[in-house]
Amino acid sequence: MKQALSIIELTKSYKSKQVLKKLNLDIPAGTIFGLIGPNGAGKSTLIGCLTGLLQKDGGQIVINGHELNASNELMIKKDVASVLQPPLLFENFTGYEFTTYVCEMYGSADDDLNDKIKSLFTYFEIDEYLYVKVRQLSSGSRKKLAFCTAILTDPKLLFLDEPFESVDVISIGRMKTVIRKLRDQGITVFITSHILEVVENLCDDIAILNEGEILAYLDAKSRRELQKDSNLNEIFENYVNTKGLGDDLLSWM
Amino acid sequence: MARLTKLQAALLIGYTLFLLSMFVNIMGTAVVVVFLDSTTAQLEMDLPWLTPEMHHLILLTFANVFWIIHFSFTNTRLINIEENRKLLAFAYPSRNLAWHLNLMSLYHPVNMIYNFTWIVFLGLQINSGINIPVLVCAVILNYGLIYSVKQRFLKLMERRFRLIVGSGLFIFFGVILVIAAITKDPEAILGPLAIQLSEVLNVLYWMPGGILYGAATYNFEPYTAGLMFVLMIACIYSVFLDHYVQTRKGLLNPSFRKVNKNVSSLWLFLKRWLGPNAGKYLYYVAIHPYNKLQLIAILIIPIVYIPILLFMDFGVITQILVLTMLAAIPVALLAMGMANMFGYEHREILLHLQFPISLKQQLQERFLGIITIPIIIFFVITVLEIIYLPQLGTEFGIYIANTFFFLCFMLFFMWSSFYQYQTARYSTFSYKHPIVPQKVTFTISAMIFVLGYGVFVPLESAQTYRLWFMGSLIGVICLYLMINIELLAGAFKKKILLKLWSDY
Repeated sequence: MKQALSIIELTKSYKSKQVLKKLNLDIPAGTIFGLIGPNGAGKSTLIGCLTGLLQKDGGQIVINGHELNASNELMIKKDVASVLQPPLLFENFTGYEFTTYVCEMYGSADDDLNDKIKSLFTYFEIDEYLYVKVRQLSSGSRKKLAFCTAILTDPKLLFLDEPFESVDVISIGRMKTVIRKLRDQGITVFITSHILEVVENLCDDIAILNEGEILAYLDAKSRRELQKDSNLNEIFENYVNTKGLGDDLLSWM
Repeated sequence: MARLTKLQAALLIGYTLFLLSMFVNIMGTAVVVVFLDSTTAQLEMDLPWLTPEMHHLILLTFANVFWIIHFSFTNTRLINIEENRKLLAFAYPSRNLAWHLNLMSLYHPVNMIYNFTWIVFLGLQINSGINIPVLVCAVILNYGLIYSVKQRFLKLMERRFRLIVGSGLFIFFGVILVIAAITKDPEAILGPLAIQLSEVLNVLYWMPGGILYGAATYNFEPYTAGLMFVLMIACIYSVFLDHYVQTRKGLLNPSFRKVNKNVSSLWLFLKRWLGPNAGKYLYYVAIHPYNKLQLIAILIIPIVYIPILLFMDFGVITQILVLTMLAAIPVALLAMGMANMFGYEHREILLHLQFPISLKQQLQERFLGIITIPIIIFFVITVLEIIYLPQLGTEFGIYIANTFFFLCFMLFFMWSSFYQYQTARYSTFSYKHPIVPQKVTFTISAMIFVLGYGVFVPLESAQTYRLWFMGSLIGVICLYLMINIELLAGAFKKKILLKLWSDY
């Protein structure tokens, strides 16, 4: 199967602290991939390296068959979009100005852009904020604006860092619908999330990251095997809670 | 001091000494004009124009101007209700919190300085001991009323802020202009005005600063003073009770954020003119409230000072000051956009880095966008200087000196952008510069004076050598800037990127 993303021996440190430790990962094209891990596991740092915002210390990142380096960078970036946590938006622009600006930069601003913006914004119920400055939006609306804009750049690989945080239940359902539609069109979606139930229902493949290392890669088949006896929450806890910390620590309460 | 380099420490010491000498100069003048008795024989001989009416006029103008400054710059955000409301979640009683926040505002150094200055200034004007309790109450009530007006009409104040500050600056510089004109030719100016002076004084007495002045100088009967004192205590109690009630109400009721719909034509214009990249950056620079304020200052200061200096004609000093002031205009515009190139957008730049457009190209476009307007202004000023102020120097000399002055700052701002990054804050009511760090603003001020003197002081026979020296340095700086434009992207990744990533 063709890989949308291959990470080979990726390392990244902040001063003396190694955050990513020779990390290896292959994500097939056209899948919804979920990366879960506790706080401080290295999820955001990994997304930073994959989107070219953080310089890796070592290893290789291959996106759609091209290694991410100075000579390929622009070609790769054209097919990659991301929604970070917190989302990166232009605070002094209106929602419409922001989306059209980003689409123009990606070269995806075609004649239908206005219609697409209108329908997508209406679907996520942020159409009333089209001409409102981004800095005045609530955190949920900001997340939805960043998500809609990322989609409108026509990416082949979409990174979503905590996409459902601060978003209402109805909008989470709609985001999931859109993500599945993207997968059906052959677009690869890379999601990091703390909400295990969402990842469990939405993602095809799941990896567990802790302390900069991939502890487990669960594709559809292995998940079926494991989830016969336990749910994702229990599997996650088995991998991550190695210290065996339990309720006995709260005996004083 | 320990964290500063030797050069920074030397600059800081030099600048402090300069400020100190300026301060002593200003205070000395103020002491002479404000506190001396205008009726003494010696003074009548030295300053014949300083009649008792004139003395009153100066005192009342000072009081009213100081009141405008006090009103404009009293910081109304000190209570910071939105942030401090969180303390309620930690079981901080709302009554105590409201009371403590108001006390904190009263004891804030800025408010203390203003109120203390009032008490000292008015205390030196009193006629008898009976004025003391009245003036103290008047000062406290004045603070309370300013705070009430600003808290209740904060939005109105913000909208009218430029107008208020602009008016204040005009009055301030107007007074300087009048004093300068009077000093130059007192008889010609004061003669026709003498009849109207009493009317002007009547108006000034009934303005806020004048009323405070009256509290210190009016000859009260004891029972009138007692009545005033009781009345003002009652007013102070009511005003501070109102502060407390309003603060508590604000703490318990989160404000409703009004959503405004607006599309900017300025952004569309800049995008069309400079392209999306440089256009966006310049748009951010242009709409920053502090820059709007700086723009007013850049316009007003030369408009007021240059005619005064030319009119007074202090010879070489006039030449140096006028040339420095004119050369500083494009530099000030350049500082707005270039002294902290990444502070306006901070984390937003991470999104720019994800665009399929090279970082080098984006940074170069921004750089060229930022320097466009200052360069246009630079050429306009240089040409106007050469045409209309030929007495200030030769055409070639002015051109080389201005270019050298401009390029030195461009180099400094480029350094400051990469090494002194800080997130720009969005506040007009700010004492610290909200865009560039304090050590950069210190250095800019010091550089303006040092370079102004070094570049514009007339040198008779050595002028040719100085022109050669500046010309050579212009070549070196141009070369350095061109090389560094190529290295902008590398410097950004090395110095700024990680800060932006972790700047939540």
